[in-house]
Amino acid sequence: MSKLLFSTWRDEFIDNRGKPSQEWSESAFKLPQTYHGERDSKAFIGWDGVAIFDEDIDAVILATKYAAQYQEYSEACGRCAPGRWGGRILYDLLDKIARGEGSYNDVSHLKEIAQTMMVTSKCEIGKTVPKPILDLMEHYKEQFDECIDNQKQSKHYDGDISYIAKVTAPCTDMCPASVDIPAYIEGVRDMLFTDSLVATRKTMPLAHTCGRVCPHPCEDACRRANLDEPISIMELKRLGADYETDHEVPWLHPKEPKPLRNDGKKVAIIGAGPAGLTAAYYLALEGIACHIFEELPVNGGEVAVGVPEYRMPVNKYNKDIDLVLDMEAVTITNNCRVDAEKLKEIESEYDAVLLGFGARLSKTVRAKNENPDMGGYWGAISMLDKVNLWNKYGIGSPASNELKDKTVVCVGGGFTSMDVVRCSIREGAKKVIMLYRRDEKTIIRNTTYEEYHEAVEEGVEFIFHSSIEEIFDDGEKITKLKVNKFELVPDPNGGRPQLVKIEGADFEIECDYLIPAVSQSLDLQILPEEWNIEMTSWNSIKTNGRDYMTSRPGIFAAGDCEYGPMTIVNAVGQARRAASVISRYIYDGKCTLTDDEIMEDHLARLKVYNKNEKITGWMPGIPRQVSEKLGVDERKDNNREVNLGFTGEEAISEAERCMRCYYISMVAV
Amino acid sequence: MMSSKVINLTIDGKSCSGNAGDTILEVARKNGIYIPTMCYLTKTLPIASCRICSVKVEGVDGFILSCQEKAVDGAIIKTNDSELYQERQNIMKLYNVNHPLECGVCDQSGECDLQNKTMEFGLDGQTFTAQDMPRPVQNWGYVSYDPSLCIMCEKCVRVSTEITGDEALKVKFGGYSSTIENVKQEANYATLGEAAAVCPVGALVDTKFKYSTNAWELTKIPSSCPHCGVAHDVTYEVKNGKIYRTSNQAEFTTMCSASRYGFDFANEGVTKDEDAFKLAVEKFKSAKSIVFAKEISNEEAFMFQMLKEKMGVKLISPEARAYQKFMRAYSSITGKLLNSGTLEQLSKSQAIMVLGTRINDDAPLVKFHINMASKWHRARVAYLHPIVDNNIKNIVTQYISYAVGNEEAVTSSLVSYLLKDVDGIDIDVDLDAISSEDLELLRKSHIKKVGFSLVVSSDLYAHPQAQNIAKMIALVEKHTDINVVVIPPAGNAMGVSLICDLDDEVESPSIGYNAKGDFTLSSFGGGDLDVPALNQQEGTLTSMTKRVVPMNVAVEYGGYVLNDIMNALGFSAEYTIDYTKMLPNDKGFRAVEFDDLPDHFDMQGIEHRGYMLEEVEVKADGVVEKLGNNEKLNGAVVYNCNPQEHFSALTAQSKNLTSEASLVGSEAFAQEQGLADGDTVCYTIDGIKFERVFKIDTSMKGAVALNPTFDMGLSSALLSSYRFSQVDLKKVGS
Repeated sequence: MSKLLFSTWRDEFIDNRGKPSQEWSESAFKLPQTYHGERDSKAFIGWDGVAIFDEDIDAVILATKYAAQYQEYSEACGRCAPGRWGGRILYDLLDKIARGEGSYNDVSHLKEIAQTMMVTSKCEIGKTVPKPILDLMEHYKEQFDECIDNQKQSKHYDGDISYIAKVTAPCTDMCPASVDIPAYIEGVRDMLFTDSLVATRKTMPLAHTCGRVCPHPCEDACRRANLDEPISIMELKRLGADYETDHEVPWLHPKEPKPLRNDGKKVAIIGAGPAGLTAAYYLALEGIACHIFEELPVNGGEVAVGVPEYRMPVNKYNKDIDLVLDMEAVTITNNCRVDAEKLKEIESEYDAVLLGFGARLSKTVRAKNENPDMGGYWGAISMLDKVNLWNKYGIGSPASNELKDKTVVCVGGGFTSMDVVRCSIREGAKKVIMLYRRDEKTIIRNTTYEEYHEAVEEGVEFIFHSSIEEIFDDGEKITKLKVNKFELVPDPNGGRPQLVKIEGADFEIECDYLIPAVSQSLDLQILPEEWNIEMTSWNSIKTNGRDYMTSRPGIFAAGDCEYGPMTIVNAVGQARRAASVISRYIYDGKCTLTDDEIMEDHLARLKVYNKNEKITGWMPGIPRQVSEKLGVDERKDNNREVNLGFTGEEAISEAERCMRCYYISMVAV
Repeated sequence: MMSSKVINLTIDGKSCSGNAGDTILEVARKNGIYIPTMCYLTKTLPIASCRICSVKVEGVDGFILSCQEKAVDGAIIKTNDSELYQERQNIMKLYNVNHPLECGVCDQSGECDLQNKTMEFGLDGQTFTAQDMPRPVQNWGYVSYDPSLCIMCEKCVRVSTEITGDEALKVKFGGYSSTIENVKQEANYATLGEAAAVCPVGALVDTKFKYSTNAWELTKIPSSCPHCGVAHDVTYEVKNGKIYRTSNQAEFTTMCSASRYGFDFANEGVTKDEDAFKLAVEKFKSAKSIVFAKEISNEEAFMFQMLKEKMGVKLISPEARAYQKFMRAYSSITGKLLNSGTLEQLSKSQAIMVLGTRINDDAPLVKFHINMASKWHRARVAYLHPIVDNNIKNIVTQYISYAVGNEEAVTSSLVSYLLKDVDGIDIDVDLDAISSEDLELLRKSHIKKVGFSLVVSSDLYAHPQAQNIAKMIALVEKHTDINVVVIPPAGNAMGVSLICDLDDEVESPSIGYNAKGDFTLSSFGGGDLDVPALNQQEGTLTSMTKRVVPMNVAVEYGGYVLNDIMNALGFSAEYTIDYTKMLPNDKGFRAVEFDDLPDHFDMQGIEHRGYMLEEVEVKADGVVEKLGNNEKLNGAVVYNCNPQEHFSALTAQSKNLTSEASLVGSEAFAQEQGLADGDTVCYTIDGIKFERVFKIDTSMKGAVALNPTFDMGLSSALLSSYRFSQVDLKKVGS
């Protein structure tokens, strides 16, 4: 909530002009009233309107600067007639008025051009830029008139106000890694797959991976959903990566990697998982030397040893990994477990350390007689390690030695548990049961529709509203489980429905293996006790969520060790931000954000996606494309990649559904 | 694959039908309803930059882009009203911002979309202006680019990406300062002519044509390409007896670069040399054989065949002969005279295998179709050849290299893979010809793919085991629904192979027709009697698309023609084209008068040129033999291969085409042969002596050098052996 002078943001209309500031009304939106919590903003202007915080605002120059931003940022666009020329004229005419040379004829031309841009532009940037400008011309008309009538410059024409702008999109804003989604989709639409990949890699080096196994939170913020169905954003990402691999294109980088700096500065990264790889990549692009310490003989972290081959083929993931490890500035030591002593040593040798280790301790299911050492009790992480190390790298022995013809019960409900049950099927288990406390709808929300349905097709039996009360064993191994059933009882007061145990509905399952996959926690032995690193209430490493420095200066954390078990894309987003902060920290010892990052955080708080917005100018009902999958009999006894990806036709059709919802916003400070 | 479900909609009150998947614009055009566009190009996917084609759809808010949005069954659409007109007019006002008012000297003037639409929307001035910036004109070789005339419709970029696949042109983003950039300027692709052909304004023009004449002064002579084997449409644009440029139905079709630029091959300034003519007639009477280049019309070929039938003369045209034998063996398995593959199917394929051709140079239009499949359908493209061609890295997904000479074994391996699910096929297979890793990769790339094409060409035709190779490939056509495209050699080799009963050995005395004989008729000059070039005579060509298409006279010819000799030998036809209707029915030709051949494209781009060859059934009595022994080539091996814009001695006549002809090899080749870049070497193939400068291409790998043949004049047509030759290289002047 923020008090302000004037606002047309979204559907709000606030006009406090003429009132004393203590009587000003508040906006319902989290507008950036203070820039980065430091400086007062004078105004915020964007796709959905304009908000004025300062009575001394110069509306004419604000409008002009906003139009100028469109010019500057149209590098991302400039691809339709109304946007390209219209945007230029918009700026030229506004500047003419602002510098005191305008006429009323220019005002009417401005309105005419604005109208055409709003109706016919190709992307939202062209459609929305005129809106706040027209708002200013309407509500601050007197300032425009004054410039014209007196043929004089607007009051702050030569002023020292800074204007900080950022281009975003609802999907980009929702993506934890801020991927420039409209740009990579446009690359597919144009069949310029290398351009598509370069757009992805601006903020996301793991294009193969996040083109396959990302839970795509972006799709929940896709404006196309307001019209029919969201774009299949994730799957379009893999086309660029597959193109690079298929055609053996030399590595495509978002910019030419800078030569390795020879200034003695170096960064240590703990863990070669998504977070570590990402940080290494963006540091290396800047020419900053970084060294990765990896405990396992193989690289890739949990995605390598946790995510099964049929979802994420290792030869594709290795491409993402090689991209990073082939960078001049990146070196790595494998088979190197970092403990507290080692970490202290590393800290003394490096200018900054990024902790990027994962959450690899399986939590228990909290049943009676639960004994992790009992035969048949197998933590999800160690079970998946075994499966993947053998299937992907030929390390160890096949898990089918243990699981073939056995009955496996998994307790879970998230991605890890899905991987457990589907791998168990592939390793030849006779019967595979998933116990889940909540219902089908929730498991789909926690994973994906495809994951759940594919598991069902492969023969996994899901028992919902259930949990284990007691585990039975014969002294050597688990023999059976006692399971409680629950039902959802609506709260008469309208609150959340409660899970209530159904009396007398308990049942038993005979089984050979119980694989808990309820959640994972961090192995905190790595942190020297005397550092007293501050932790969150859920026992992950605490940072402020913006610069990712821990309570100990120079030690940063990103990914699962910072957030708790979360997604790849989250790890990537955090690590890229951390790399950016580190790239400055190692020189000046300060944790600073760029203007772009500050704006990114402001916009995330404001929320870019508006699910109630009505979409115009697009035909509804063009179906979302669904890629072909291997049939159940073709996949359930092997590790072939299940999702075959889009055909060219499907990909282009899907890309053509994208409405290119780019927006520009700008703060005047 | 698109379903072909019929949908019905109402456009401007008229009931219209189209297919599910059609865009609104496509349905409108099919039903004869006009929607204005500036950036729409029928042969590519929608570009959607101009926004002029917006329409209104009942029940949908806002304007809908008709070029991109799919038509929905039952939709009610309005293509024009005052609001739409207003917005379209406004867009045209924007297109005219700062557009230089230099129509008087602009090449496009008179056929400019910007001019036309400006008029259509009633604009007589430039409403808006903006501060401009310097935008220098750029010369890119074959084409030049003037950014201040450019309206950024992006048609050229789409052609460069989707059609030709040179991928040289890109949009350089930058809002108002956006331009088109050529990211491969050093390559000087002649295929950029295809991009220039679709430019709606005067921004991308042919460098040599620029400022040479006004578009409206040119007479358009529709004809067909004599060079590349596709015999695509080509229109000669002529003034005062001189061809200024060529054009095509660029909205729908694409030209090879030889036709685009190599149109200046006419045999000019020839008068009737009566003495030479009389001598020629005498020589014909005593000739035991006629040796001829495959760049001749169907009618000329037919005349030779009649001479053979009447006088027993032998007919020699080596490349056409090899193809003819190959196709006869092929037909002996399929039972059909011609192979059934089509280029259209090729462009819709998801999996393509190319065997025995350097496709980018041998058959550029076929390569374009492979590129389309690559772009539109993400086709997996396997390229099986002894030499990796880096020029098509952007479309090839798997290179499978094999040893020179090993084509028969490779074919057996590939065919047995493609026929693995067919029962009762038992052919001799060389399991080592394609490595198991390569085959496994190929198999993986084919999982769940729909629409397969197999493209084969001339490396196979003169192979010692050509017939057996042909039969194995024919099994694929016979037993699967794989689209098998057998590319005939360039020129009119297909027409010659159908019309003439060709022979293998020359017997003296011989007549040469654009080929060296004891008595030579030549359109290149330097022969014993001049004859007209193919842009100087009427007649038909047989396209590899199985279409018989007409050629017309673009440049007048004053000398004697073959028909005059025929008449002197006792035949009787007023014009060469009197023979058009007599072309052999039993080979699929139809008894149609030349003047009755249609020659146009309709509004939807459907081709109405000439006619399609009828399907002819033949005896299917062929049997695949055991694999023969593969003779290994050692030492210096060269591969006869012309650059993309050249096909024959005919294109070598052109001064517009760049025509450097060097022996090009890898560093490894140079090292092995002890050659340095710039050395002059000589060697002999089929008795023809080559003397060439050797050049190193650092992007090439392997120990085979590329040897162009187009510049060998009357000798070019005499090359008859397998395309790879072991030669004795001698340095000249050392």
